[in-house]
Amino acid sequence: MSGALGNFTHSEALSLGVELELQLVSRRDYDLTRGATDLLGAMNYDGHFGEIKLEITESMIEVSTMPQARVAGIAGDLRGLRDTLVRHCTKNNIAVCGGGTHPYHRWAERRICPGDRFDEIYQRYGYLAKQFTVFGQHIHVGCTSADDAIWLTQALAEHVPAFIALSAASPFVDGVDTFFQSARLNAVSAFPLSGQCPPLGSWLEFVAHFEFLRDCGIVRSIKDLYWDVRPKPEYGTVEIRVCDTPLDVNTATALAALAQALCRHLLRTRPPLHAERWQHVARYNKFQACRYGMEAMLSDPVRRCQEPLRERVLALFDALAEDGRELECSPWLDALRGVAEHGNGDAAWLRTRATAQGNLNDVVREAAERLMQQGGNGNGEGA
Amino acid sequence: MDKLLQFLSLPRRLWEEAQERLFFLPPFPEQIDSLALFSLLLVVGLLIGESLHARLRWPRLIGYVLAGSLFGPSLLGWITIEALGQARPIADAALGLLLLEAGRRLDLRWLASNPALLRGALADVVLSFLVIYLFASAVVGLAPAWAAATAAVTMASAPAVVLLTVEESKAQGQITERIILYTALGSAASFVLFAFVLGVVHAEFSSDWLNAVVHPLWVVVGGALIAWLVSRFALAVARRLPKRSLAQVFILVASALFAVGVARMLAVPVFLTLFLMGALLAFRDQEQTLKYTELPDGHWLLAIILFVVVGASLPWHEFTWLTGLYAIGLLGARALAKIAALYWSGGELPSAKRLLVGVGIQPLSATAVFMVYEVAGLYPEVGRSVLLLPLFAAAIMELAGPALCRAALVRAGETEAGAREKGGIG
Repeated sequence: MSGALGNFTHSEALSLGVELELQLVSRRDYDLTRGATDLLGAMNYDGHFGEIKLEITESMIEVSTMPQARVAGIAGDLRGLRDTLVRHCTKNNIAVCGGGTHPYHRWAERRICPGDRFDEIYQRYGYLAKQFTVFGQHIHVGCTSADDAIWLTQALAEHVPAFIALSAASPFVDGVDTFFQSARLNAVSAFPLSGQCPPLGSWLEFVAHFEFLRDCGIVRSIKDLYWDVRPKPEYGTVEIRVCDTPLDVNTATALAALAQALCRHLLRTRPPLHAERWQHVARYNKFQACRYGMEAMLSDPVRRCQEPLRERVLALFDALAEDGRELECSPWLDALRGVAEHGNGDAAWLRTRATAQGNLNDVVREAAERLMQQGGNGNGEGA
Repeated sequence: MDKLLQFLSLPRRLWEEAQERLFFLPPFPEQIDSLALFSLLLVVGLLIGESLHARLRWPRLIGYVLAGSLFGPSLLGWITIEALGQARPIADAALGLLLLEAGRRLDLRWLASNPALLRGALADVVLSFLVIYLFASAVVGLAPAWAAATAAVTMASAPAVVLLTVEESKAQGQITERIILYTALGSAASFVLFAFVLGVVHAEFSSDWLNAVVHPLWVVVGGALIAWLVSRFALAVARRLPKRSLAQVFILVASALFAVGVARMLAVPVFLTLFLMGALLAFRDQEQTLKYTELPDGHWLLAIILFVVVGASLPWHEFTWLTGLYAIGLLGARALAKIAALYWSGGELPSAKRLLVGVGIQPLSATAVFMVYEVAGLYPEVGRSVLLLPLFAAAIMELAGPALCRAALVRAGETEAGAREKGGIG
C-alpha cells in the first residue's frame, strides 16, 4: 500500500454517503456572498446529521451526511443538514441555494476561504480556483474490498453520462444561457487531473499508477485526482463526482438511490468491462450529456454505434427494478425515472423560471425558496 | 482673495475695452459658472482623494473633505459662501441618493429573524443618545434643548460614509452587513429624534407654540408624504419596465432627484425624505420590482462634490481649543457607548467581531452637518455658536470616521485588500 494513499478502509457493502456543495447567496440581491467562515464560526451544531464544512471559496458550503445503509437515512440526514444550515443562514441574512452554478456571479469577486489547503490550491491553480465556485454532489458507495472499489470505478465510468443528465442543474453562467444542461463540468475540466480514471484492473495497479504520478511530481494525495469516479481509500468507498447539486434534497437523495442500486446491480451481475474502449469515447459522451442532457446521443464503443441517452437510461431503470426493491429505494428511482422520461429536470426548471421572470435574480430567489421549502418524507414523494 | 481680485482687474479692463467694439461679448463674468465650479471641485477633490488613497491607503473620502476644507471659506476661501450655495443642490442630490440607498438597506426581515440585531440596535440608539446628552449637558454645560439637539444629530453613524467606504473597499461579510444595518437603523432613530428636537428648540426659544408643534409635523409628515408618493410612482412606472434594465435605473435616479427637488421646495430635510423613500421602496416592493436595481457608478462623482461641500462647510475659522477638546470628549463618549452597546447585545457573532461592528459604525458626517445647519438656521443668533460642538465633532470624524470604518472592515478580513494580503484575492 502506498504511504500517501493510506490503507483502504473497508466499509459495509453498498453503504451510502452524500456530499452536497451549496451556494450561499445574499437575501438582498441573491448574488453569491462571502459568508462561509462567519457562518461556521458562529454555528452551534452537534454534528447529528453529518458534517458542515468550508469549501474553496467563501460563497460555498459543503454538507456531508453520515454513512447510511439505506436511502431513507440519507434523506433524513440531508433534510436535517438543510434545516440546520437554513436556520443559521437566516440569522445572517443569507439564503442557501442548490444548482450546479450560480447563474450570474462574477468569479473574480470570489474570496478564497482561509486555510493552508485552500491557499495552496489557490497558489497552485490561480484563477481556476475561483472559477471553481461551482456546486456538485458527490455520492459515496461503500465497498468491502479495495479491488471492488477499483472494479466499480471502471464499471461506473460507462454510466457517467446518466448521472450528469439526471442531475443537470447549471444551464446559466455569467448571466447567459450556455445552451448546456450542465455547464458546471466545464469549470472542472480545466484542471489538469480531471477526467477519467485510466483502465486499471486492481487495487495494486491503482497504487502503482498513483505512485507513478506521485514520483513524476503530479500528485501528492488522492485529493489531487479530480476524476469523474474515483476510489476513496480513506472512507472505503467509490465516489461518483459528476452530479450537479440538485435544486432540492429529494433529487439529491434519488441520485444516491440510483448510485446504490446501480452498484448493487453491477456487483451482482459483474458485466464484462471494456474499460479501454470506453476510455476513447468518455469525453465525447460526457460532452453530449452536459450539452444535451437526456437528448444526448451517446457512442457505444463496444457495439460501435450511437444510441440515445434517454433509451439507455430507461433501460437501466428497468434493469434496476429488483435492486431497487431489495434496497427499499424504488420510489426514489421511480421519481428519477420520471425526470428521464419527461426531461423536466432542474435545468429545464431553471430555464422555465428565467423565461417567466425575465431576470436571473428572481430565479435564484425561487431556487433558494425551493431548497428551503422542499420537505419530502423519505419515500421519494416530491423527488 | 483681494490679491485674486487685483490680479483679475487687468483682464476685466481689457475685456470691457474689447466689449466696446465686439458687441457679441457678454458682460465680464462676475462669478464662475456653476458647471465649471463643479468640474473644478471634482478634479481637485478627486486628485487629493486619489493621492491620499494611493500613497497612504487612506479612504478617498478623507481627501475630498480635506480638499473642501482647504479651499473652502474657512481657509483659502477659493470656494466662496456663494459658490457653496450654488453647489448645494448637487450636494443635496448626492446625499439624497446615498440616503435612498441607506433606506433601501433597512432590512426589517433580517431584524425580525435575529433578535440580537434588534437588541444591538436599540442599545446603540438609547446608549448613544443618553451618553452624548449627558456629556453635552453635564460636561459642556449646554441647555437641555441644545444638548438634546447635539445628541440627536451626532448619535447615528453616517450612512453616506459607511456605504461609500464599504463600496470602495469592496467589503463583504457579516461585519459589513451589520455595520450597514446598524447605520440605517441609527439614522432612522436619529431622524425621528431630530424632528422632535426641532419642536423642543422652538419651545425653548419662541413664545409661539404653533411652530413647536407644526414644524416637527411638517418635517415628518411632509417627508413621509413626499417619500410615499414618489416611491409609489417609481414602483408603478418601474413595474412596466424590465427588471435591472437601464430604464429602471433611470426611473430610480429620476424619482430620487424629483423627491430631492420637492423636499427642497417645501423646506423638508432632504436626508429624511430620501431615507424614508428608500425604506418605503424596500418595504412596499413585494414583487421585487426595484429590489435588484442598483444606483449607477456615477454617484461617486456626486459623492465627491458632496464631501468637498461638507468639508468647505466646516467652520474651521471658529475653532477654539476648548471646543476641540469638548468635541474629542463627545466623540470618545459616543465611541464607548456604541462599542459597549454592541458588545452587550450578544448574539451569534463572537465578541471580537461585535467590537469591530462597534468601531465600524463610528463615522459621523454629512447628514450630521446638514442636520446641524437645519437646527442652527431656526434661531441663528443662538444656534450657530451652541451647535459648534457637534460641527467640530463631525469635522474630526469627517477625517477619522472613514479610516475607522475601513480599519474595522480590513481587520474583519472582509475587504478585498484584506483578503489579498492573506493570499485570497488576486
